[in-house]
Formats: sequence, C-alpha cells, structure tokens
Amino acid sequence: MAYAHSDTTGVASEDLLTPFKIVIGGGFGVGKTTLVSSISEVRPLSTEETLSTASIGVDSLAGVSGKRTTTVALDYGRLTLGNQVTLYLFGLPGQERFSFLWDQVAYGALGAVVMADVRRLDDCFASVNYFEKMGLTFAIALNCFDEAPMYDPEEVRAALDLDPDVPIVMCDARESRSVRDVLITLVETIYASQYRAESRWA
Amino acid sequence: MAGGYNKFQRRNVGPVVRPYAVTGGRTTPRSGETLDFIDVVVSTGETIGVVNPAHDTPEHRKILRMCDRQTTVADVGSATQLPIGVVRILLGDLIEQGSVTLVRSRPAGSRPSTKVLQEILNGLRAL
Repeated sequence: MAYAHSDTTGVASEDLLTPFKIVIGGGFGVGKTTLVSSISEVRPLSTEETLSTASIGVDSLAGVSGKRTTTVALDYGRLTLGNQVTLYLFGLPGQERFSFLWDQVAYGALGAVVMADVRRLDDCFASVNYFEKMGLTFAIALNCFDEAPMYDPEEVRAALDLDPDVPIVMCDARESRSVRDVLITLVETIYASQYRAESRWA
Repeated sequence: MAGGYNKFQRRNVGPVVRPYAVTGGRTTPRSGETLDFIDVVVSTGETIGVVNPAHDTPEHRKILRMCDRQTTVADVGSATQLPIGVVRILLGDLIEQGSVTLVRSRPAGSRPSTKVLQEILNGLRAL
C-alpha cells in the first residue's frame, strides 16, 4: 500500500505511521471482548506470559514443574483513521490475577475506556483506581445489557466516586456505532484538556 | 490463515511446537529492551542471518517480510499468530542485527497536540 503524502493533516512530517493506544478496562465478563471485536479490523492477539508467584495455588503446576508460562489471550483491535493515524484498542485482562499485565498494556496509552455493568458496578473499581492512579484520561461506558436496570449516569458517578469531568456514556458493546460514540467522547475529553493546556502555554 | 491447518487439525488445538521453542528458549530480548505493543518497526533491507545464522528461522523471515512497510509489534503478532512475547524477542534479534529498525514517532506517554487529536476525531466521526 502506498501512503499518500498529505500536507493538510500536519500529523507527521514524513509518511510516518502514527499509532495511538486506547485501553479497555472493566471486570471479567463485562463485554470488553465484544466491544473491541465489534469495531476492529483485525483478529485478536495471544500473549505467552510468565507465571507469577501470584498464580501459585491457582494454576496447578502438579506434574508440569517445567512450565513457566501460560497463554493469555489479549483483546486487540485496530482502527485505521486516514493515512497515518491508527488507533489500537487493547483490553486489560479482567481477572485480577492478570493485573501484572496491565502496566505493559497501558504503557503510553492515549486514554482508556472502563466498561461497567450496572448490576456489578464494583467489578470496575480496580480499573477505575488503576487509571486514576496512572493519571490517564478515561471514560465510563455503561454496557446496556438487555435485562439490566437503567440508572441515571449521575447515580453511577456518585457510586463510583468519579470526578465531574469523567464522561459516562451508555453503550451497546455489540453495536459498532455505539462503540465509536464512546471513543469519540473519550477523545473529545482528551482534546478539551489538551486545549486548555495548550492555551495556557500560548 | 496463518500456518497450515489440514482437516486432521483443528485450529483451537494450539501450536504443535511450544511457543518459546522458536526463540531457542529465550524469554527476554537479548538487548534487554522490551518493545511496546505499538512501537513501529520497518525493515532496513539488510539480509538476515549474516551476523548470527541462528537468527535465520522461518519465523524470523516471516516477521521480516511483514516489516517491508511500517508496521507495529501488535500487528506482527496478530498476523503471525505468534505470542506477543515471542514476537518481541524475534523482532529484537532482527533489530540487533540491523535487518529491522525501530521507528519512534514520539516520546512514549506524551500527549498529542490538539491538531492530531482533531484528526483522530475526524477519522472516528467518518467511520
């Protein structure tokens, strides 16, 4: 594929591929894989990870004492936007015991989406805490499960003790348009804070 | 479809060879530098296996072919269906011997300008 040179975008001086990373957090089974696959152009990644001491007693190694790694599937999605800019979506493994992977996945990310199920809100506390501590801009996506009760986003904000500038969006992870809207909200939030930062410098 | 799956093999049975066999048992890159998932790599045109013949395996070649044009570590992993840890080690070999080079577009963690963010927004809205 040839990359057309574009003078108007100003993204990169040469024809440089410019990837950005958005991480998707949330509890186990909340719909991260569905969200990533409903908008992605590509298939998932697998990673082979070193078993940590935290998995002792969880992953039985009886009879396989030489086994030091395990395969962890990683949700991975790609969205090509224009000539050079590409968004990569990575899901953080939901199980708490894979949290050692989070730093690797979230390193250098542009922003994050935390998926939440209103019936099991506490499942997303770990991701919310993680992104807050990291100082990463994130948006909450309330996955609208058919049978889930509806809540006012402000009630969710209070329950999660979120800052007023954290956006909360209703989302159907199966719908690519819905997922796209979540990403737009997230990038708009990042834009707004970057705009404020840039005008401070100007 | 990656790899040759015939009617006697189901796709979900996993590889016949354990993943780290292709790295010769190494689990960390020799240089000690871990590639990020979205680091951009591209081939330099240098042939492989000259410096170290052990780095001329089918997997190395497969990865090198993918680097004909700029690509990311994650995309190499997805296309080759090799675990990302393995991809990072093999790419590390190729970088070390000069067949592949790492293109860092911006310092990790730095925030893009509003101009770039606006382009991302335009792209998303056009989807």
